Amino acid sequence: MHVHIRYMAALRDRLGEGETTLDLPPDVSDSETLIAHLTASDAAAAALAAPEIRLIRNDRIVTRPSALEDGDRLAFCPPFTGG
Amino acid sequence: MMPKILVTADPLDPPALVAALTGTDPDDGAVASFVGQVRAEPGLQTLELEHYPGVTETALAELRELAMSRWSLSQAIIHHRVGRMAVGETIVVVAASAPHRRAALEAVGFLIDRLKTEAPFWKRVHTAGGSHWVTARDSDAAASQYWRDQIAQEDA
Repeated sequence: MHVHIRYMAALRDRLGEGETTLDLPPDVSDSETLIAHLTASDAAAAALAAPEIRLIRNDRIVTRPSALEDGDRLAFCPPFTGG
Repeated sequence: MMPKILVTADPLDPPALVAALTGTDPDDGAVASFVGQVRAEPGLQTLELEHYPGVTETALAELRELAMSRWSLSQAIIHHRVGRMAVGETIVVVAASAPHRRAALEAVGFLIDRLKTEAPFWKRVHTAGGSHWVTARDSDAAASQYWRDQIAQEDA
């Protein structure tokens, strides 16, 4: 399964890359197993597991955990601070 | 025609938005508005607003639709600026018109409190020495949760 991942705002600075496309192993099936997979190669990705981190999947704000499918476009978001 | 939802890098014009809702419908007894602007802080040179294009507009439109039906509004407008702004510049304008003041005032409160936590915007402060992201405030989360609870109660 391939997914495209973006890190927004402060997460982009923290994780050192704006976006990436990953080929995922079969045991990655949802947002939380994805975070665990990311954390295995970069300890800083553990920050994504915090409950306040929001997920946008294919241009929709979704609740975590969210199931993933091949071709998903994901964006991990720190808490919103508009207005 | 004033767009109901707008996310723009261009400066906003709060009086024009309020004017667009004022005196247009004989059934309206009230127009309420909120204007958010860049506040001076030590070291702040500009405030930058980043967003997630497409998702932001959808999130604002959904909040607007909820307010329109919940408070039986005549009109509601949400305009939000993105990009870099100087102290005193307008970040956001929310305006609502309704037959009675309570509906207009509550709807504006709902819209600004909810959009702060439910639309994908992020603030970044630029100073002479660099920049830092603004962290979410507990008080903003509490204000947003207040409306969530209100709606859950009334729907129950």
